[in-house]
This record gives sequence, structure tokens and C-alpha cells, in this order.
Amino acid sequence: MAAITARISSFFGRVPRWVYIVAVLAFAIAFPMLEYFGLMQTLWLRVGTRALVYVLLAVGLNLVLGETGLLHLGYVAFFAVGAYTTAILSSPRFDIQWNFWVIIAIAMGLAMLFGFLIGVPTLRLRGDYLAIVTLAFGEITRMTLNNWEGLTNGPGGIPGIYPPQIFGWTVDSPAEFFYLLLVTVVIVVWLLNNLKNSRIGRAWNALREDEIAAHHAGVGPTRAKMLAVVMSSGIAGLAGAIFAYYQQFINPTYFLFMQSVIVVSMVVIGGMGSIPGAILGAVVLDTTPEIIRQTFTSWLPAAIGPDFLPGVQAAMQTEFDRYRMAIFGLVIVLMVVFRPEGLLPNKLWRREMHEEDPRELEKTGQHLFDFEEGTQDLEV
Amino acid sequence: MAEVILEVRSATKNFGGLKAVNNLSFDLHKGEIVSLIGPNGSGKTTTFNLITGLYEPDSGDILMQGESIAGLKPGQIYARGISRTFQMLRLFSNMSVLENVLVGMHGRTKANVIDCMFRTPRMRREEEASIVRAREILAMFPGRFPLARHTQPAASLSYANRRRLEIARALAGEPRLLLLDEPVAGMNPAESMEVMRQIRDLRDAGYTILMIEHDMNVIMGASDRVIAMDHGIKIAEGAPVDVANDPAVVEAYLGRRGADTAS
Repeated sequence: MAAITARISSFFGRVPRWVYIVAVLAFAIAFPMLEYFGLMQTLWLRVGTRALVYVLLAVGLNLVLGETGLLHLGYVAFFAVGAYTTAILSSPRFDIQWNFWVIIAIAMGLAMLFGFLIGVPTLRLRGDYLAIVTLAFGEITRMTLNNWEGLTNGPGGIPGIYPPQIFGWTVDSPAEFFYLLLVTVVIVVWLLNNLKNSRIGRAWNALREDEIAAHHAGVGPTRAKMLAVVMSSGIAGLAGAIFAYYQQFINPTYFLFMQSVIVVSMVVIGGMGSIPGAILGAVVLDTTPEIIRQTFTSWLPAAIGPDFLPGVQAAMQTEFDRYRMAIFGLVIVLMVVFRPEGLLPNKLWRREMHEEDPRELEKTGQHLFDFEEGTQDLEV
Repeated sequence: MAEVILEVRSATKNFGGLKAVNNLSFDLHKGEIVSLIGPNGSGKTTTFNLITGLYEPDSGDILMQGESIAGLKPGQIYARGISRTFQMLRLFSNMSVLENVLVGMHGRTKANVIDCMFRTPRMRREEEASIVRAREILAMFPGRFPLARHTQPAASLSYANRRRLEIARALAGEPRLLLLDEPVAGMNPAESMEVMRQIRDLRDAGYTILMIEHDMNVIMGASDRVIAMDHGIKIAEGAPVDVANDPAVVEAYLGRRGADTAS
């Protein structure tokens, strides 16, 4: 069994990286066309569009959680800041419709400012303080949105958000939003990937590995961590701003603590510190519940007949959200037990999780002793 | 005597009631190898931590090339040309060998976020130069870091090579003063001799070296000068042979009776 999986992964390991990138991009570009030609329900296009929002959130959080190793539990707050920026500045609420680019800039700027303010007191401290403070910040943000009725209309939310106009193009169908998000994701991922392979990315990784050693090697921990937190906040703000345009209606229940946990799960399940992992984690975790729901409410009944498992269909239709979290929990537990490094792990993290397992070293093409140039390492 | 590079002036560090380093003073001169010896708990590593900024001295001062560095952060002290290695290895285990050395260059490289995000020509030039320099540093350990090993994770190296990699990372900051905390700990005699030769080569290349060491062969074979500590106090300083035969040093290691027998 292990030999088979090793052989499969070594086959996939030999395919060059650009082939995957082209394949994924081609699929993504073709995806809305399936709906256009009637090969797919609009529902799935909506699922795909929402998945792209989560992809943005996951790659943004990966910067903090995966690359720098900081546990951030209030990420959804920055998403909310971005979303409410759009909702307030482009809706009948105050009867204004600001320019798309201005709103995006304000959303990102505000989110980054909040990220900075959270970072000032917490990043100097080690360990779990950041988790506690960010968790609290997430809740404070939601409570504020819930109670500041003059600005946010409280629990009633803000309906009727105007569609964005980008160089005269009015984005108002799911397919258009899909492409808008796709372009955004591609740009963000490209920038983050460049950052990852630079001195700044290495400084983040060094801090994650050993903060004291990193500091003694000339990396200022507070500044580097602040940069990661501020940048990831900005990405969440961007995601929020586009999400509000797409959703056309937002209220505080979109920004529950659970959403932060879900994004953390996406990063962990995808593989911490791995951009492809964060993307896959977001897509899998966001689409799986919908796939399960459809399986029980329409596909299985259609295949077996309307009498299929009396009660299950009704239960799935009305109470699915209760089971959603149970499924989430199960998936996460299974992942932690069987694949702690995530679905598409960063090679480095895989090593960390399976440090003692020589099969893993073989699988990743690494050897404890290399025989290159006939120099066997004999000194252990 | 060559110019003084580092001055420790009456440095004191207390942990609660314990005087870990008590009124310690010494000078390091450019281009010498000085060994810091003493029994366990005598304050050697605390001295290192004071010099590199992990701790701030409670009183006294530390001057690097005439400027006070007491109270600066480790990163700032590193930028002033003091690099160190650790007694218990502190490599970035899950980063590659080359990346470990590149992290050591962080403070010397200047590309900002925008440069890095857009891979500007400036950033690429700097990155290429960094990689060339990192490979040069790794090549200072002949045969130990062949090209194929550069992309391997640091954790996959043998113990002795991990120690070498820590030295390589310290050298990446282009330091003037190198602090080595037990560079041959856990090595066999042949490896110790090789590291000792390498340390002397580094001195000949212009680095000043302060090392904590227990291996008598390395201390005798490599040091120009030895400083002995006990209970946070400097008890002897001078040529290796003189310090080794100093009654106070023998007493610190072997106790009163040992000192009587030796003298």
C-alpha cells in the first residue's frame, strides 16, 4: 500500500509545476462556461464563486499561520471590515455609490490599519497571546457591527448593495463575479508566491522555525511579523469588499467566529505554508458540504427514487447546517490523524511532520545521506 | 597588540539572587582566538547572551569597536558585526541548507516588500548576489556542502554538518567577531581537529573568535588566549598553558584537594 502511494506521488512529483498551473487555470476559466452552455446548474457556479472568496481568505491567512507560524483566530474581522466598507459606500443605505477602485483601496487600507493596531500590542509577546487577542478582536468587531445601528443598521444588515463598475463594465452576474475573483486570486497568488521566495518570505519561515535564532541572524521579529499580519489583513479586506458586492446583502451573521475557524481549517487541511495547499483546502472545504447536501437531497433520490431513506432527504433539506459542522469536525480529525502535513503540503512541512520516517525522505526525493559525487556522509 | 574589537566592562547579570555574571571585564583583540572556559554554570553562556543582546547587563557596559552595544536587540548587534552559534543547535531545520545561510544575510540585503512582490530587477540582482555569496560561504567547508546538498533540509544533515551550517549561517552576516558556543560538542576527535583547523583558518581570514569550549585539545590547539570563569567571576586569563596550570582554575574544576595535588 505504502509502495503504491509512493509510486503515485513520485509520478505526480515528476510532472512539472507549470502543467498543474495551466491545468487548474484552464479548468477555472472554462468553469462558468459549463453553466452558460447549460451543462451545470447555476447553483454550482455560485458555489465556485464563493469558493474563490475563501481561496483569497485562505492564501491570506496562510501568510500568517503557515509562513510565519502565528495562530490568528480573528481573521474574519478583517473580512468584515472590507465587506462593510463596500456595503456602506455603495448601497442605498446612505444613498451613495463610490468608485470601485476607491472602495477597494479603502477596504484594504482600513483592514490593514486594523491589522496594524492589533499587531502593536500582541506581536511583541510570544506564544498564544496573539490567538487570544485576535479571537477577542473578531468578536468585538462583530458586536460593533451588530450594535452600531447608525452606521451598519445592526442585525438587519445592509441590503441592495450596488454592483461594481470596473472601467464601464458592470459586474452583476455570478459568471462575471467568478471571473473578477479569478483575476484577483491570480494576481494575489502571484504576488504572494514572489514574496514567499524572497528574503522576506525566508525571514517569515525562519521566525516560524526558531524565533531566537532568527533574531540572532538579523531578522527583526516584530517588524517581520507585523508585515505578515498587515498584508494578510489587507487580503482579507479585499476579499470582503468583493464578497459584499457579490452577495448584495450583508449582515453580522456572515462574520461569526466560526468563519475564522473554517479559514484556519482550510489552511491546515490544505497544508500550512503551501499556497497550492491553501487553494485546495479552501475549494475542498467550501464545496464538500454542498456536494454532500446535493447527494442526499437530489442525486441519490433521483437515482434511487423518491422513497429513498425516508426522512433523510427532509432532514438534509432543513437541518443540513447542523451536520455541516459535524462533517467539518470529522474531516479535520481524520486529517490530523492520517495526513497531518495537509493535502498539498509544503515539502518542508511534510518533513517536519514525518521527520523520523525514512520513507517520507525517499518520497520527497531527499536522503539522509546523499551519495552524490561519491561522498557518503559517515559522521553521525 | 592589535586593536581592541570588543570590550566587556564590569558586566553583571543577576537572575534573582544568583549572580550569573559578576563584574566581568575582558578585551578581545582583532584577529585572535579566545576561549572561554569554566565548569558548568560558571556564566559562559550568559556572557555570550549578554554580548549578543539576548540579555541586557544589569550593570557595566559592552563596547563593540568603541561603541556601546549594551541594551541593543540581537538583530541590531548582529548588524554591528557580531554573529554567534548556539550550544544546542538552533538551525531552521525545515528550511534548506542554502536558505539557512540566506537568512543570515537578511540584515545585509535591502529589497523591500514591493521589490519582493514584483521581483524587480533590483531585487533579482540582490537575490542572485546573495545566492552566490551563500554558496561561497558553504564552499569554505570543503567537501561538506556539495551543490546537491544545498537544497536539502537542514534537518537531514549529519550532526557535525549541522554544526558547520550554523557557523556558515553566522558567517553570512559578514561579522567581525564570531561567538562559537561549544563548536565541537558531540564530535569525535577527528572531526574536532578538522573544526579546530577551520577555526584557525577563519582567524587567518580576519575574523576574531570567542568560543566556549570544553575540549582541552581544541582549547590548547586553537586559542591564543584563554579566559577562565567560575561562579560568574573571571578567575584567570592568559596563554592557554598558563591558565591550564593556574591553581584557581584547577580548583574550580577539581576542588581544593585536586588543586593541592596538582601544585
